Amino acid sequence: VSTDPQGAVPLRASELPAAATRLSTAELRGLRNDLFSKEQARQRALITRTEKIEVTLEVPGHQGTLLIMNKGLSTPRCCARHLTEWHVNSSALALVDGEPWPMHRPLTQNCSLALLHFKMEDPHHVNKAYWRSCAALLGQVLQNAFKEEFSVELLTSPEVPVTSGAFCCDLVLDSQLDSWVPSEEALRSLTRDAHQLIQQNLPWEPLQVSPSFAIKIFSHSSYKQKEVEERAAESASGLVTLYRCGDHVFVSGGHLVARTGLCSQYDVTAIHNLGQTELGLLRRAQGLSLPVQLEAHHTVWRKLRGRAERLVG
Amino acid sequence: ARRLEWRTAYGPGQTRRRGIANQCLCLASCPPVQALRNLRTATWWDEHLSQENVDFLKQQVPEEYNRLTASKINPLKDEPWPRHEWEPGSRRVGLVGVKLGMMPVWTKDGERHVVTMLQVQDCHVIQYISKEEYKSKTAALVVGAKNVSPFYRTEKQMEMFRAAGVPPKQKLSVFKVTDNAIIKPGTPLYAAHFRPGQYVDVTAKTIGKGFQGVMKRYGFGGQPASHGQTKTHRRPGASGPGGDPAKVFKGKKMPGQMGNIYRTTFGLKVWRVNTKYNILYVHGSVPGHRNCLVKVRDTNLPTHCEKNQQPPFPTYFADGDEELPEDLYDEDMFRFGDESISVV
Repeated sequence: VSTDPQGAVPLRASELPAAATRLSTAELRGLRNDLFSKEQARQRALITRTEKIEVTLEVPGHQGTLLIMNKGLSTPRCCARHLTEWHVNSSALALVDGEPWPMHRPLTQNCSLALLHFKMEDPHHVNKAYWRSCAALLGQVLQNAFKEEFSVELLTSPEVPVTSGAFCCDLVLDSQLDSWVPSEEALRSLTRDAHQLIQQNLPWEPLQVSPSFAIKIFSHSSYKQKEVEERAAESASGLVTLYRCGDHVFVSGGHLVARTGLCSQYDVTAIHNLGQTELGLLRRAQGLSLPVQLEAHHTVWRKLRGRAERLVG
Repeated sequence: ARRLEWRTAYGPGQTRRRGIANQCLCLASCPPVQALRNLRTATWWDEHLSQENVDFLKQQVPEEYNRLTASKINPLKDEPWPRHEWEPGSRRVGLVGVKLGMMPVWTKDGERHVVTMLQVQDCHVIQYISKEEYKSKTAALVVGAKNVSPFYRTEKQMEMFRAAGVPPKQKLSVFKVTDNAIIKPGTPLYAAHFRPGQYVDVTAKTIGKGFQGVMKRYGFGGQPASHGQTKTHRRPGASGPGGDPAKVFKGKKMPGQMGNIYRTTFGLKVWRVNTKYNILYVHGSVPGHRNCLVKVRDTNLPTHCEKNQQPPFPTYFADGDEELPEDLYDEDMFRFGDESISVV
């Protein structure tokens, strides 16, 4: 944490004195990725002895099947791999004892497991998680899309329902870009980047960490540290869930789906200006996406896209 | 075997398009965003939509088409293309219509003729191709007719229609036009483009009869039904002169595919034009079945050149000053509503 001489409030990267080095986006990404990997390895090393837990499946067709899994190591994805390839590829979220649970988080005790996909009768958990994941993907794309000399600060994305027409990601760009209006070509280039990530089919890996470690990871951004404190205060256990996709580490407001490969149609539709705040000019980037199981015809997609270009949230 | 080659070369999902129409699709502007994933899903357009969504789309698509066509009634609102005067030697655009059926018509002398009714439904100019692009001495205009559902057209085709600002069409035809007759894409075309007394050529795909024998296809005589004929009643018989050429000449009339090919009927007189329903009453018969789409253009025959002078040039514009009556009749045609002969 970089502090001013009086040791009071941590400074933003752009406010550091000239003597201190400001890390580039790539270096910052690498640093956070390393810290995340080390913490993940450390948490895994805490489990010295493999203990077994009993997982009861509530999957249609396999009702009541009992699986003997490893405590602290087996994830709902491992349980799905005991069924069929379709279960592995189509499950977006898991329900452990009725509570939504990310597919890559290890199970800790005897429980009942249900696998959620997009074509169920009541998909509201999956829908919310999918929308949040698409917003996180948009944030990742925006973070890595700008040149090194322009700073990008991602803010807390508002929780928008699926019925509003688009997911959004709030961000503040470098002050040099205040007059920049994104063109059609720029939006298409962002869409291409998003499709690259989708093609790589990266998992969204969750990791529950203590707030102090999370603050350490985001030591170069005071806004993120404040966000971490807020999330720690909201959560019941006092732990903060960090997510990693590829090499991008971030905090999310809720659960995310399993992999980027679950999105099939993805479009970055617009970037609106919301007004000046203390951090700078606030912008809202919006996008539209549909999962693999619910692809739309190009005419229907075009109509949905027309709605997603309007300001939402 | 040659036919099969064509089909596989174009791929399983695509239809074979002759001539310029394929070029039109390739000339569509603005490249689409390349989705790196393969989206070749074999599903229908409303598979993942709820019933409400399907009803909404079914109601909304015609409304959108009406909005698109309504705004094009007055193409003058935005930078109109200059309109030139007709000169001898100019060629103007044609129309694409739907063959409705046939009916009789009488002249004032009492002769009975038959006419075919061709209705011009939602005809719009889609694209203008300059003579350099078309690689020819004359420019070309692509005209489309009859609106169809957007759910069964590919993205490339939809882009072309969107560029013109018109709903997607069932048939596209290319008309060679001289430079003084070019029209802005998006302009609607009406039946009043042709007037009674003009002569037209009509091109359409003939009714397909499938693989037919030589008697039906070329009118060969065949062989007698009895008197000792062994298994030979409808066969072609001899196939050539014999020993001197010692071969069968190329183009020998033999059984094969009959019909379902484009044919043109030349020099058809326009007897009547109905401006309310956009129907042309054209002399005689026209290739194709009922409700097929036909291409109508001013005739190429030199004998009818004088009758095609001073037509509405480059086309009939609905927002112009001309007020046309609902029906336009040729002067030779007998009208049933006319007064009877009176003696003064």
